[in-house]
Order: sequence, then C-alpha cells, then structure tokens
Amino acid sequence: MGIINLAPKILDPIPGGKYVVNAIDYVVNWARANSIWPLTYGTSCCAIEMMSSSMARYDIARFGSEVFRSSPRQADLFILAGTITRRMAPAIQMLWEQIPGPKYAIAMGACTISGGPFIYDNYSVVRGAQNLIPVDVFVPGCPPRPEALFHGLLTLREKILKETCRNPWQVGEPKDVSTMDRYREAAKTWAALEEMKDEEMAEARAKFKEENPDYKSSFKPIRIKKEDFPEVERVPFKRMGLTQSDIYAKLKEKFPAVMVHTHSEDPVEDVVAAMPADRPLEVMVTPEDYLPMVEFIKDEASLKMDYLIDIVGIDYDDHFDVVSQFRSMEHGHKLFLCLQLKKDFSIPEEQRATALLAHAPSISHLYPAAEFKEREVYDMFGIDFVGHPDQRRIFLDDDFVGYPLRKDFTHPEMIRRPV
Amino acid sequence: MFVPSVTNPIGDFVRNLVPQVTAYLPVAFQSETLDSVVAFLINAVICIIAVCAVNIGSAPILIYMERKVCAHVQCRLGPMRLGWHGTIQTIADVLKMLFKEVYAPSGADKLMFYTAPMIVLIAPFMVCALIPFSKDLVVADVSMGIPLIIAVNGFGVLGILLGGWSSNNKYSLLGALRSGAQIISYEISFAMILLFVVMISGSTNLMDITMSQQGTVFDWWIFKIPVLGFIAFILFFISSTAEMNRAPFDIAEAEQELTGGYHTEYNGTPFAMFYLAEYIALVTNSALATTCFLGGFHAPCIGFAPVDNVLNMVPGLVWFFGKVFFMIWCYMMVRWTFVRPRVDQLMDFEWKFLLPVNLVLLTAGAAWIAISG
Amino acid sequence: MTGMLPPGFRIQRETNTEEFFINMGPQHPSTHGALRLALRMDGETIVELVPHFGYIHRGMEKQAESMSYLQYIALSDRQDYLTAIQNNLGVVIALEKGMNIGVPEKAEYIRVMLQELGRIASHLVFFACFGGDLGGQTCLLYGFKEREMIHDILEEVTGSRLTTNFFRPGGSRYDVPDTFIPRVKAFLDHMDDTMKDYERFLSKNIIVLERSKGIGILSKEDAIAYGCSGPVLRASGVNFDVRRANPYSIYDSFDFEVPVTYNGDCYDRYTVRIAEIHESMKILRQCIDRFPTEGPWRSKEKPVRLPVGRYYSEIETAKGLYATYVVAATTGEKPYRIHTRGPSFPHIAALNKMVQGHKISDLVTILATLDPVIPEIDR
Repeated sequence: MGIINLAPKILDPIPGGKYVVNAIDYVVNWARANSIWPLTYGTSCCAIEMMSSSMARYDIARFGSEVFRSSPRQADLFILAGTITRRMAPAIQMLWEQIPGPKYAIAMGACTISGGPFIYDNYSVVRGAQNLIPVDVFVPGCPPRPEALFHGLLTLREKILKETCRNPWQVGEPKDVSTMDRYREAAKTWAALEEMKDEEMAEARAKFKEENPDYKSSFKPIRIKKEDFPEVERVPFKRMGLTQSDIYAKLKEKFPAVMVHTHSEDPVEDVVAAMPADRPLEVMVTPEDYLPMVEFIKDEASLKMDYLIDIVGIDYDDHFDVVSQFRSMEHGHKLFLCLQLKKDFSIPEEQRATALLAHAPSISHLYPAAEFKEREVYDMFGIDFVGHPDQRRIFLDDDFVGYPLRKDFTHPEMIRRPV
Repeated sequence: MFVPSVTNPIGDFVRNLVPQVTAYLPVAFQSETLDSVVAFLINAVICIIAVCAVNIGSAPILIYMERKVCAHVQCRLGPMRLGWHGTIQTIADVLKMLFKEVYAPSGADKLMFYTAPMIVLIAPFMVCALIPFSKDLVVADVSMGIPLIIAVNGFGVLGILLGGWSSNNKYSLLGALRSGAQIISYEISFAMILLFVVMISGSTNLMDITMSQQGTVFDWWIFKIPVLGFIAFILFFISSTAEMNRAPFDIAEAEQELTGGYHTEYNGTPFAMFYLAEYIALVTNSALATTCFLGGFHAPCIGFAPVDNVLNMVPGLVWFFGKVFFMIWCYMMVRWTFVRPRVDQLMDFEWKFLLPVNLVLLTAGAAWIAISG
Repeated sequence: MTGMLPPGFRIQRETNTEEFFINMGPQHPSTHGALRLALRMDGETIVELVPHFGYIHRGMEKQAESMSYLQYIALSDRQDYLTAIQNNLGVVIALEKGMNIGVPEKAEYIRVMLQELGRIASHLVFFACFGGDLGGQTCLLYGFKEREMIHDILEEVTGSRLTTNFFRPGGSRYDVPDTFIPRVKAFLDHMDDTMKDYERFLSKNIIVLERSKGIGILSKEDAIAYGCSGPVLRASGVNFDVRRANPYSIYDSFDFEVPVTYNGDCYDRYTVRIAEIHESMKILRQCIDRFPTEGPWRSKEKPVRLPVGRYYSEIETAKGLYATYVVAATTGEKPYRIHTRGPSFPHIAALNKMVQGHKISDLVTILATLDPVIPEIDR
C-alpha cells in the first residue's frame, strides 16, 4: 500500500510518468471495486435482509461479494445492518479499527441513518452510524430490500473507482459516541426549505390568478368508497382449569387480606364472577403475604402454578406494581399477583432518580426463570429484590445513570416525541 | 567436488546442452565442474519457475472453481459480473489482497506471525516437485518419493501451530491446537495408505508407481486389486481431506465456532498465503491420489485397440490434469454437502476406526500379494 | 530420583491444566445477533456460561409509553423480526380484549393463514441456521430459498417482506388479494416435495445425528422451571401449545397435532420443528378448503381507545409463548405501559444449564436449536 502511494511522488515529475500512475490507479481501483468482502455483522432486522441478499434468490456472489468474513481483519466492507445501541457502539468502533485499510462502510436501514423508528423518547439508540465511523453509502429502508443493498454496493463500487493514489485513502478517526444530533440539524434545514417553498408557491399562485382571472380547476378528488363493516361481538376465548372465582375463593381462604383491584361498588366476588372467561385473575398482594402466597400457589395441588410467565413492573406516582404472572402447566389456569410497593420517600428528592426506591422479596429460589426477569425489573425500575443471588444490570451498562422505565426518567440524549 | 544434481529428463537435456555451449567459450572457462554447476543452476531455476507456475497458476483457477461449484450446489450462480461468467473475479481478489494494509495485532510475536504462512506454503510446493506430471515431466525423480512426501506434508502443521500461537488470540490458539492434533492423527492413516500403495507396487518412487499402472483402466491400483484398492482409495480420500483441513474436517477453521481458527488474526498478503496454501494442498493431494490410484498420466484405456489408440494420442499431461481436476471436484462436492463433526468425534474416528481398518487393509494387501504372487 | 533434580524443580505427577475465559460475541457468526456469551473453559469443555444481554436494547417499552396503540404494532415487528406477523397478532388480540370488539370469520381465516405461513418461514430459518451452524453452509442457502416464496406471499398481502405491520383491532389493514389462495396452494404443493429433500439432507445424516443426539439435554422439570416455551418445551416432553392449551382466534376448529418428543436434546428440538412445519401445512390446507370468499374482512372501524384496566394476551409464535400485557391507566389512545414477554429470553436463561460439560462446538449446536432472536430478548 505504502509503495503505491509513493508512486505519484516519484513518477509524476517524470515526463509521461502520470500515465503510469493513472494505469496503476486503474488496476488498483478495479481490483478494490470488484472484490468487496463484507464482514459478518448484524444486530437486528436488517441482518436478515443482508442474509437474504447472499442467498439463492438474490445472490450477492454475482458481484463477487459472497465471501463474508467473520474476522474483521480479512474484510473490506462493514455493512452496518441493524440498530446501533450505545452499548454496542464501542464494539462497532473496535471492529472498524480492526479492518485493515482501505475499508468502506455501508449504513443499512433507517436505524443506522438517523435512528429510524427509535428516534424519540429513546435513551439507548445511537442516532446514525455516522456518529461513530465514517460511512460511505447510506441505504434507506426499514429494512431495505436486498435489491436496495445491491444498489448501495454498486454505488460504493462507483465511489471506489474514482479514488486515486495521488490522494490516498486514509484511515479516518472514529468519532465520539456522544456527539451531535444530526437529526435536529436536518429537521431545521428541512423546515427552512419548506418555508421557502411555501412562499414561492404562494407567489406563483398569486401571479397565476392575476394572469388568468377566470380560470376554474376541473380537478375533482377521487374518493375511495368507504366500505361499511358490521359490528361483530367479541366471544371470549375458551377458559382452561379453574374459574377466576374458584381461585379467588381459595386464596381468600388462606390469605384474608387478598384484594382485587376494582373501580365498581359491587362486592369483589361479583366482580370476579363477572370477568370475561379469557381474562386472568389479578389479585393484589401485600409484601408480607407475597412470598407465602407464591409458595402456596406453587405447592397447592389444585392450583399448582409451576410456570412463571413473566414479571412486569409498573411505575405509578407513589408506588410500584410488580405483577408476577403464573400459569399452571397441568390445569391451564393463570393467576397474576400484583405486588404493591410503596416508594421510599425518605430518600432526598435529588437522589431519588438514582436510588433504589423499593424493596421486594425475590422468588428466584422458587422459580429459576425469575432470576433474569427480576434482574430486568431491577434494571428498568430500580426495585431491589431481597435475596436475589446475582442482582446486576441486565440490559444497560453498569455505569448507566437512572432507571429508564420510571415515569420521571430523563436522559440528556432523549428527544421528546412532538405531539 | 560434490555437485548436487536434479534427476529429471529436462535436467538431463540441460546437462547435455551446457558442455556443447561451453565448448565455444575460451579454454579457461572449460571445466567439468563449472559445466555441472551451471547446468544445475539453470536446472534449478527452470524447476522453481515450473513449480511456482503450476501452483500459483492453479490456485486462482481453483478458487474460481470452488466458488462456482459451491454456488451451483446451493442453487446460485456465483461470480457473474467480472469477465465471462466471473472468470477473472479471483484475479481481482488476489490483487486487492496484495494492496491491502498488513499489520500484526498488538501482543503478537511478529517474527513467528509472519514466518508461519511461509512455512505453511512451503510444504505443498515441495510435494509438488515430486509428482510426475507426465512421462518426461518430473522435477525431482527421487527414489524415496513416498517417505519424502510423508515427511514434507507433516511440515505444514508447524506453520499452522506457529500462526495460531503467535496471534495472541484464544480462538487462533484453539484452532491451531485442534489442527495440530487432527493433522498428526490423520498423518498416520495417510502414511499407512501410501505404504499400502508402496507395498503393492513395490517401489517408493512415484514414477515407478505410475509406471506400474500401465495398461488399461483395470490396471490402475483402484481397480487392480479387487475391493481392497477401492477401500484404500476411499480411506485416502478421507484422510487427505483431514490432512488439508478441508470441510467437513475443517474444525481448525470452523467459522461458526472459532471465527476462522488459526488465521483469525491474519490479513492482507499473509492471509492470502494461507488461502493459497489451502488450494495448492488441494492440487498436490489430488495429484497424489491420481498418481497412486488413478494411473497417473496414463490414458484411461479400455483394452479395445481403436479406442485406446485415440486416447493415447492425447498427451499424458492432459490426462493427468483431467484426473486431478476430477479429484478436486470430488473434494469440493464433499465440502459443500456434509456438516462438520465435533473435534472429539473426529479423533475417535481416526483412532478407533480408520487406524484399525488401515491395519487390516495392510494385512489383507500383504495376503493378496502372497496369493497372487 | 528427586534428589538428583536441581533445586526448584519438582516431578509433575499430574497434568496441570488451567481454566481460561473465552468471550463469544457480541459480533460472532453463530450468536444469532448481538448476544455476548462469556465462557469459562477447561480446554475445549465449557465449565460455565454467563450470557450478557443489552447490545441491542432499544428501549421499546419506554418509547411505547409515548406512542399510540396502533404505532406500537409497528414496533412489535421489530422485536422478533422472523415472526413479525405473529407478533402483530399478539398485540392486536390484547387491544381487542380492551376494546371489546370481535373479528368476522374471513378475518380470522386470514389471520390463521398468515400465522402459519409466518411459522413455516421462521422454522425454515431455524433449519437453515441449524445446518449452517453445524458447518453445512448449503443448508443455510436451502432454508432461505423456500422462505422467499413465503416472503412473496407476505409482500403481496401486506406490502412488506419482513416488517409486516398488518393486523388491526377488528381485522387487518387490507383484504387479501384474489391471488392469495392459489399462491398459498402452489407454495404448499412445492413444499411437500422440498420437505422430503430437506429431511433427507439433515434428519438421517450420521454426522448430524452424532452431533445433536444427547447434546444439550433439558429435562422436563427444568424446562418448566426456566419458563421455556414453544418447540424447546415440547421437545422436553411437555405438551403445551397455546393454540391448544388456550386456543385463540379460531385455532380450536382445526384438526392438527402438537408434536411432542421426550428426550429434550438438540435432535428432538430439530424434529419437533420439522414436524411443526408439517402441522402448519395441514392447517393451511384446511384453511384453503374452508376459506370464506364472501363476507366482511374486518369489523366496524373504531378508534383504538382502551378503557382503564390491564389487558393480557398470549399467542404461540414459532419460537413459543408471546405474551403482551397492556396497562391503560387512563382511557385514551396511549398506553400507560406495554410489556412484551418474548419466548427467547427464558431459553437463553436456561442455556447455562444445558451447555455445562459440553464442547464449544456443542454450544453452537445448542444455541442454534434454541433459535433465539436477540432483539426480542433485549427489546
């Protein structure tokens, strides 16, 4: 590489030497442009379309690019297929630096161009790959079709063919993660352009009216005939196992404090009995009752809730709800336990955003599935699970500040969705 | 004074030619020693150029062939845009790799790192020098051909081990160790099958082995000994596939597990050398199979004189390369059809199946010689 | 003899081995996306595995809180992109429960047919990746080849190959075109022959059998305890398929079987999925026979406003149990919170249990048979 870059310095002053340099350019560029080996990399939906493009129907091999290398050191092209998150960003920069030059990048899909569907209210997505590494070609789409990727590849080919060793390819410095928000700039320019266009249009319209005072448009908008659809009554899906009333009665017998959240004035029994068949019973539990009740519903032969579907956290003004969803594999009925946790307001207000505001008993010793689910709730809400064997952040970095699914969560990179 | 000499027909021709040319020189330059040294040097240059031309020339063709065979097995077209049906695609690939940035990862043992691919490349080149391509075309017609091939072939694993070790990467190390264990194991059955060929043909010289298969198709060693020859051929096919680290025995590279194994950290020209070595090994192993089992450069005569005369009119070189490319095609079809066994299963297969079968085969071959005389 | 050694040297009576760590991912060809696995290894044998998530955590649940319910359907495409059309239905059923509206018959048939097409497409990707991860690159291509035909159908019906965004409360966005049924029929006829080829390719291949039988065994108890679902759970001997256990849509009116195997190893997970392709084709054939050509394809259009309450829906996607939990704190077009339970998350949680004592090659096999989609785990 280095020798070729010396060629113009030596040959250009010699008479006729620049034709030799041009010939070298031609050969080198021809080789580079026609042998682009991509890196096997993909994070989400675009990766599948990238895979499709190398498969039998589309066959990226026709362009000589089917040699997907899994080691960055042998690749030429970095197809950024899929959303880039802040956690993935350092890995992407490292991969980019490991690719030996000359190297090229194609940003595939809306997410790598601007953040795509994940622009607003988002704390974890990098808005555009150009914030991380120098990108050569952008391929729009969500996800782009394989044909679009090929178009990107051919565009890149044209770009490479224009290179010259007089102005050699250089390794660009990777950019910092926390840089500018290109979307806002683009939106401002776009709005300015729109305003200019509107003004021009208004002028043109006024001028046209002056010139043709009796002009009448013959344009009539075609309306799509709106079909009339009938109202269909919903039939609840079939219920399996015990009815909600039965489960409620069993729980009430053992734990008298058990409640069902309701807005109506009717007695709880009637509310439970009036529930649609396919609606799981959701009961409210106090923290004291929670662990005994989970043990009870797991061991009781007629309930036998042996399958944990999920643990969901919900943030309200003054309390958290932790909904543990259970299912019985044998009987087929479901039961949701809604654990209400009062927020700990003794913590000073300025520290609340980063503090664990509530404590709940962990059920991971009863259900191994709960271990990761509780970690998720801990990560998203900052609820401490007492007795959890390995309570770490699961989706976010350890140094991430705050708990994103709380309603009062703020992040410097977050853009509010315009209403 | 001892002057090494290369024994081959071209060498003989040059040796005869040099004294005739030097006869025109002043008397001061006329000496037998000088003649033989000059003859040797000219010989050596011709041989090196020939071996390099065969090897380096065949590698791009093979890579193109591999990509096309792979594509057609997978219902695709393969390279189509560069040249007629993508024929010059590999040239672009090779050029691009030559112009790529070369660097070693930090923490790598640089000397070892850059030596390894060269060592890997040496082994198949040396084997290539021993293969008789035609009746008059052999670089080194040595009498200990088969033992030399066994010795040299095992040399390549050293490069792989060094490359994996010096890369300072755990994947590379795992791949290199896998490869070392695998090649050393399969070397045994590889050598045993070659010994079987030596035993039945009665010579370790590759030219003699070829000449012992003169005659019709049924004089080739694959068919000459009923059943045993065919079994030996299949065993050779399996163990040479493992020797070459080719799929389905590519556990050393294992892209899905080790992201490339021992050459994970290589880029640019060194990587191209690994890539090249893989394909040159393919040529040499196919050539070996052709020489030992498929009658070498002999035409596939069928014992019917009019047809045989026509077949014999085609030069031996064409037949030889025809057979070699058929073998290569077989290796490629196997590669793109089978899935990869696990590392311990591969070892089990060698030590618990191939080796006993080989021993039985060797015994049976000896018995056949004793019976048939 | 020891006395003759120089000082400081000892005779080593046992081989001294040392454990080491290997990092797989987030960019690795067989982690199926941005998953990172930290492995503690003893030679080639895995001692312990710790999965690290979050490399594709896109904060969908936070975003959903400022989106309308309809917008969230589009986000559900991007969770498990291989079964996007099925995720749509999962969200839509939860919304229908809240809005209390029903679905006409034709719409139900459209739903079931697209569901089963999506299931076949996802299982074909599984077939492709399973073969590919074992080292048979050709399988990878074959699986994707037939999947393109399903994509053609999906594109014709929904307008998009991958991210369909098709179902709406009360029905779907559009009616299906007239060519829909003939196309599905042609696809099924083609698939009958192709499946035979595929099974000949992998199911009886001795190397595949050696590499997948008895590998990564997940016992019935563990499978339930870890919350596994779908083919992984059924391969461990639990007969649980939401289509049968809590039938949604009109699945209770079809005649199909839930394939169950009892070993819980990689080969069983493979056979369960192959059998499921056959069952899906059976359902599709029944749909074609009974498909109502007349009648409305959706119910009366209503604004998507959910009354206060909590709504839960579960469906069986190709990967397993996909549950949506919608919390509406105020009556309106925006959710207070939407939570999605994807099937892949518990599977990866159970991975450590399965791989211990196996080789690193087996990890790749096991991971391929779990068939995880990482964006659905991270959301």
